[in-house]
Amino acid sequence: MSFMNRLFLSTLFLLITTSAVCFAGTLEGKVSSGDSVVYIDAIPGKTFPAPTQSVVLSQRGLKFVPRILIVQLGTTVEFQNDDSVQHNIFWPSVGGNKKAAHNMGTWARGEKRPYKFESAGVVPLYCNVHQQMSGFIVVSPTPYFVQTDLAGNFKIENVPDGKYTVVAWHEDEKAQSKTVEIAGSGKVEFSFPKSNAR
Amino acid sequence: MFESISVIGQRRRFLLAQLALLVMLSSTSRAIPAFARMYGTSCSTCHLDFPQLNDFGKAFKDAGFKFPENDKSMLQIPPVMLGTPSSKELWPKAIWPGTIPGMPPISFRYTTYFQYTGSSSSKFDALTPPGSLPPFVPATDFETGLFSLFTAGNFGSDIAFWVNNDLSVAGGNANGGLGDAYLRFVDIGRFLKLPKNMLSLRVGQFELDLPFSLVRTIWVSPYDIYIQSNIGVINPLFSQQFVNNRFALAETGKGVEVSGGLHTGGYNYSIAVINQNTGGDVGFSPYVPTALGSNKGGLGVQSNANFKDLYASFNYRFNLERDKASRNAIQAAGPIGPHDHTYLNFGAYYLYGRSEQRLLGEVGGTAAVLTAHEPFYRVGGNMTFNYRCCLQFNALYMFGHDANQLPVDASGALIPLQSLGQTVPAGFVPGRAATFSGGFVDVEWLAFPWMMVLMRYDGVNSSSDRINALITNPSFTGAPFNAAFSSTRNRFTPGVQFLIHANIKAVFEYQFRPSQSVTIAKNPATGLPMAFDPFHTNTVVFGLDFDY
Repeated sequence: MSFMNRLFLSTLFLLITTSAVCFAGTLEGKVSSGDSVVYIDAIPGKTFPAPTQSVVLSQRGLKFVPRILIVQLGTTVEFQNDDSVQHNIFWPSVGGNKKAAHNMGTWARGEKRPYKFESAGVVPLYCNVHQQMSGFIVVSPTPYFVQTDLAGNFKIENVPDGKYTVVAWHEDEKAQSKTVEIAGSGKVEFSFPKSNAR
Repeated sequence: MFESISVIGQRRRFLLAQLALLVMLSSTSRAIPAFARMYGTSCSTCHLDFPQLNDFGKAFKDAGFKFPENDKSMLQIPPVMLGTPSSKELWPKAIWPGTIPGMPPISFRYTTYFQYTGSSSSKFDALTPPGSLPPFVPATDFETGLFSLFTAGNFGSDIAFWVNNDLSVAGGNANGGLGDAYLRFVDIGRFLKLPKNMLSLRVGQFELDLPFSLVRTIWVSPYDIYIQSNIGVINPLFSQQFVNNRFALAETGKGVEVSGGLHTGGYNYSIAVINQNTGGDVGFSPYVPTALGSNKGGLGVQSNANFKDLYASFNYRFNLERDKASRNAIQAAGPIGPHDHTYLNFGAYYLYGRSEQRLLGEVGGTAAVLTAHEPFYRVGGNMTFNYRCCLQFNALYMFGHDANQLPVDASGALIPLQSLGQTVPAGFVPGRAATFSGGFVDVEWLAFPWMMVLMRYDGVNSSSDRINALITNPSFTGAPFNAAFSSTRNRFTPGVQFLIHANIKAVFEYQFRPSQSVTIAKNPATGLPMAFDPFHTNTVVFGLDFDY
């Protein structure tokens, strides 16, 4: 490769990486209820490759662990029964779409059963044997998502500059969305009507 | 506990049936929300429609009121250690370690009812002796039921406990009574190297391991055959029977029980030895210490009778799933989640006892206490077909038999029962045994997880009950009187129950008694007694029931 070609390629590489660093920002803010989920909604014209690594959601001590699991669209979740009793998992809808209801049936203790989530939205989880069990999977259409801390604070990093629809969800509230512009950084706050999660 | 229904007129019988209904309406229960608190789980984990147990609940009970496996990891409230586990090695120089529940496992249950009784109950007014006011049965009646306390759990080392007490009955303050109260030593067969779950021991006061538990039933009204006592014929116009056995299978027994097997599949058996309890008189000597102590000092025990009843039951349950792993699991694996097994259960039971009746008589001219020993038995079979969670057919048959020892005077002549007290008895001769039979069939359909639809038929055949009811007008003359329509008492009971929450339910039952009674009067043309105007008194019961 000639010197000029190498110079050109190096410059081009420098420009690309610099632009990535210069144009990836941070979205931060606060939600009035802790343990909420914040994510950037689907970006028109942009798709993201599905994660190749699966995520485990366990049933342990008659509870879903973690109780709220956030995954990117296309993720395979492996449901694992870690209890000494039989469990079941079903959901009546995905993102409010009842046609996406599904029942995983029954599987042996210690075994995993996978399911790939190919629709975005909130998935409420239940066990039809232990009716006090409750959990959620939040399927985000983008890789930009986070669960707030108990005070409701959150930060999502490496978000490219641009204008986005940001969604905040809490299990006891109706989801809210706001348009946010990120230019290096962006801030947004959500206020839910109820002050407590429970 | 349950008075003879044959020696009392039909009106009283009706009233007593209502009282029995109220007393038994909620019955004691195996539902104990303390378990829900200890494990942080809903009542529906163990109960279909409380207090009825699902397969997991049966396994929980079989295991000694704990999770069948990995119980420690499931407890949300850790137990209090009464010694470290490692101190087992120090025994006998240390007390064997145990545990107590981390919080007092106490639950309460309360029931309240509204009852409507058919207007034909007023037809029993004809039985009232002249000059007396007939008893008044209100057509509508709000009634409080039972307020009961339950405590149960496990003390470690596979020692389970249960105590329940009715704190209040029908709003009458503390006039309830102790229900079940026992310790159960689970799987003591392990010390004898027996197969797992083959031998357990229960000591105390408890409902017998009946084919269908009355304390754990979801029915508002008791099974008629379970509360049937055996009172022989006392009507002087018929061959009399000196049988006065007030024992009913529904009563709790005081004694010991060995049992084995599991109620979730395969065999299970129980053999119990309990105090005789036929309602006879209990004599006390001031010189014998009693359980409550006496001024003679010491503590002892008292029995209602020297004879101990023996009860035995055996059941075999066939789980019908094709997959062996699913068939042998506590609950079957289904495509939409685990559920109760589809199964067939067959069983048989037998109870042997000996009733005693004592009379003051004479032997060889010397005053003596004469004792009539009257062995009795109750025998029967049962069957259940269950389809998954939601549909169950049950059937039970019982035959009861009491030996009959008739009092005779010194010449060997039978003494009419109504003359006892005027004629001195000198002994007994065997007479015709007193028998009864009957049973029930029912179907229970869990239409929704919160709605159970029920239908039951009860039938009890007792000729002595019918004959004794004719005693109100033995000469068949005079004013018309009521009598039982036949020796078989039939009852159809449809019902429905709604779970408002997992621990609150609304119940409804309609008890329909076809051709329950008939009026007997003199036919003016023939002068003979004739039966006409069959009628029945039906009852509707609404109730609310909650545990916490």
